[in-house]
Amino acid sequence: MASVPRRLTYQGIPIWRHVQIIQWTTQIVSGILVVVLVVWFFGNIANAVQDRNIPHGFGFLDREYQTPIGHHFLPYDPSDTFLHAFLVAITNTLFVSIIGVILATILGIFVGVARMSNNWIVSKTALVYVEFFRNVPLLVQLFFWFYIVLALPQVREGYVILNGLFINNAGISIPMSVPSSAAAAGIWIVLALGSVLAGVAAHRWLSWREIQTGSSSYPLVGGTAVAVVIGAVCWLAVGGGFGEAPLVISAPAPEGAFGRIAGGFTLPGGLIALLIGLVIYTSSFIAEIVRAGIQSVGRGQTEAGRALGLPWSGVLRNVTFPQALRVIVPPLISQFLNLTKNSSLAGAIGYSDLTNVAKTMTQTAPAVSIFILIMAAYLAMSLTYSLIGNLYNRRLRV
Amino acid sequence: MSTNVSAEQRIALPPPRLERGVLGWLHANLFSSKFNSGLTVIGGALVILVLWFGLKWIFFDADWEVITVLGGKLAIGPYNTDAACPGNDCVWRPQAGLLLVTILMGMGWGMAGGGLAKRLALATAIIAAAFAMLPYSLDKMGWDVRLMLAANLPAVGLGWLIPKYTPLRTTRWMAVTGVVVFVAVILLLRGIEGVPGLKPVSVIYWGGMMLNLLLAVGGIAVSLPIGIALALGRRSNLPVVKLLCIVFIEVFRGMPLITLLFMSQVLVPLAFPENFPLNSLMRAAIVITLFSSAYMAENVRGGLQSLHPGQAEGARALGLASWQATLFISLPQAIRNVIPAIVGQFIALFKDTSLVYIIGMLDIVEFGRAFIQGNPEYLPDAKELFVFLALVFWIFCYTMSYVSRRIEHNMGVGRR
Repeated sequence: MASVPRRLTYQGIPIWRHVQIIQWTTQIVSGILVVVLVVWFFGNIANAVQDRNIPHGFGFLDREYQTPIGHHFLPYDPSDTFLHAFLVAITNTLFVSIIGVILATILGIFVGVARMSNNWIVSKTALVYVEFFRNVPLLVQLFFWFYIVLALPQVREGYVILNGLFINNAGISIPMSVPSSAAAAGIWIVLALGSVLAGVAAHRWLSWREIQTGSSSYPLVGGTAVAVVIGAVCWLAVGGGFGEAPLVISAPAPEGAFGRIAGGFTLPGGLIALLIGLVIYTSSFIAEIVRAGIQSVGRGQTEAGRALGLPWSGVLRNVTFPQALRVIVPPLISQFLNLTKNSSLAGAIGYSDLTNVAKTMTQTAPAVSIFILIMAAYLAMSLTYSLIGNLYNRRLRV
Repeated sequence: MSTNVSAEQRIALPPPRLERGVLGWLHANLFSSKFNSGLTVIGGALVILVLWFGLKWIFFDADWEVITVLGGKLAIGPYNTDAACPGNDCVWRPQAGLLLVTILMGMGWGMAGGGLAKRLALATAIIAAAFAMLPYSLDKMGWDVRLMLAANLPAVGLGWLIPKYTPLRTTRWMAVTGVVVFVAVILLLRGIEGVPGLKPVSVIYWGGMMLNLLLAVGGIAVSLPIGIALALGRRSNLPVVKLLCIVFIEVFRGMPLITLLFMSQVLVPLAFPENFPLNSLMRAAIVITLFSSAYMAENVRGGLQSLHPGQAEGARALGLASWQATLFISLPQAIRNVIPAIVGQFIALFKDTSLVYIIGMLDIVEFGRAFIQGNPEYLPDAKELFVFLALVFWIFCYTMSYVSRRIEHNMGVGRR
């Protein structure tokens, strides 16, 4: 019987090499360090607040803001509360974010596809576009566009196109439909949404029929026709045409001694420069994402599509792009977030976005509370975009 | 049966004329189909139009005077003004800093023995020396300023000689020298109380491209290690560490840098006791670095996720400790896989240094903008100024992405 030598038996691991002890110590130490740091910071802030008599808390939200906001989409008056001013600022940022995201996506896809073109001129032009605009700080681009807009003629000598489009250094004014009364407009908008839904349903049914029977059913034409016809009927039903129309066109027109543009919808100069800069800057990143996505689809897919007799545009739209989307969507969402966050540069060119308004607010309100509010607002926007993106991405999964 | 073919006939025919030479290239790349030809005509016309008006504007219509008026101030900002440096005799300090940097780059060249390091070092020295040759009417620099700019050429030579004749020729020594040079440049710019010729210059007067480059170099050097640590923390299986890293990354990624910078001015002074030695430049540098490291962490995490788990398992099976497996097996491969993303983040960081305007620092962009605002007679020239600034930034950023592509190529990414 061979006995086990004594020195080979288990004698326990020394504490300093025991994995679990090391792990727990690391965790506890790092946790305590962070807690101590946070407590120290907040203690200092609390002391500073007490010693220097700095206002704190969220009570300020009900006070009057008493500061004008340069441009606002929601009705706003300096006698409104901080809370309302905050909402106005969030709306301003959201407007830039949504319009910018839509335009940048369209432009980015366009440039990305152009980058993949087998036409030398087109692909090289797209390459120059991408390499130039993504390697120049957004701030420089914004200032460039801003000073271009500023260099437009004064309001009185501005360009007028077809008596409806006014371009001058105050901004661009276009005609806009405005509700004649809230009730009529509300009913009309609900009905209009209904007719659009009907059109979408018709489109889906016609596409389904086309796939089932194999004969052309023109889903796009049919769907649009259904939406337009139902929409027109609804318009007549709520009183358009004979009674009072629910929406009336408000055309911009010069007014008063200085020829200020009144009526219509005016995009102020700062906002135009901001949108142009953001859209071009972001589209150069989106173009690269789109290109990488398209390249990730195997060549065989394109070749098979061509072999089936689809034209290049058909291959791109129906074969390559739907597959590329799976690769494109996650980084695309992060570009949307970047665009939203980059819109905080608006302050540099005189547009009142969330950060800019918050910056002004800190002069009369507690900075800590403002910081928490901005953080929450940006976090909410990020989460919304991520949520939409993730839902869409889940649909794309096979 | 095959027909008999004579020797002459068997000689391969050349490809059709449409498939070779210039004509072949044109056919393949510009006129392969009707649609393609149409694109070529329209695209070509647009390109020619843009080039025509662009070049006409650059050479005839644009008034570049504003650049020459600003001149060297674009490089150093208000560093040599009366307020910053009474006597206006501080201009040699940023220049000496530049000389130290070119010596360092020369050392890099001498160590690498050519290639990319050589091209970068020579380009820097030649461009710097070229500024010394500007005609007097363009930028009214004194002979001393010119001499120190021209000295960049011998400086690169000196740097090249150092690895040949001293033991400073390993990567480790290069890293140490790099840190030493960075600290030396900071000290040179900051000044030392009581030393003649080095009177202190407050950081609020640091500006121009110098400021952008300092923030970028410091930020890049520090944010990569922090980012790697955060990425490892986020992937660790210790819940507390993981949670802390996630919170840190998501908070910094969830907010615009400009908001963070602004808050660093308002909030951070409250969070530290009064008289805590933390000036506005330091705060800005810390915020930019932390912001960048949050993004860096996500890039590195992407690289770590792209690795096959077999790599780490293999390393552990060979008897490496887990920290050794991470440090020597996983990380090098992970980082190699995401070089483009990391360099993209470096570029983003460099571009983001222009945001320090929000805390009142006069970097190159803000200095130019403030000049335009203060001198309305130059308002029509704002376009020229910003086109010039765009070009300057573009050169730096494009160089970075070029270097990254070369490094990637040299490391053989995608080829093994």
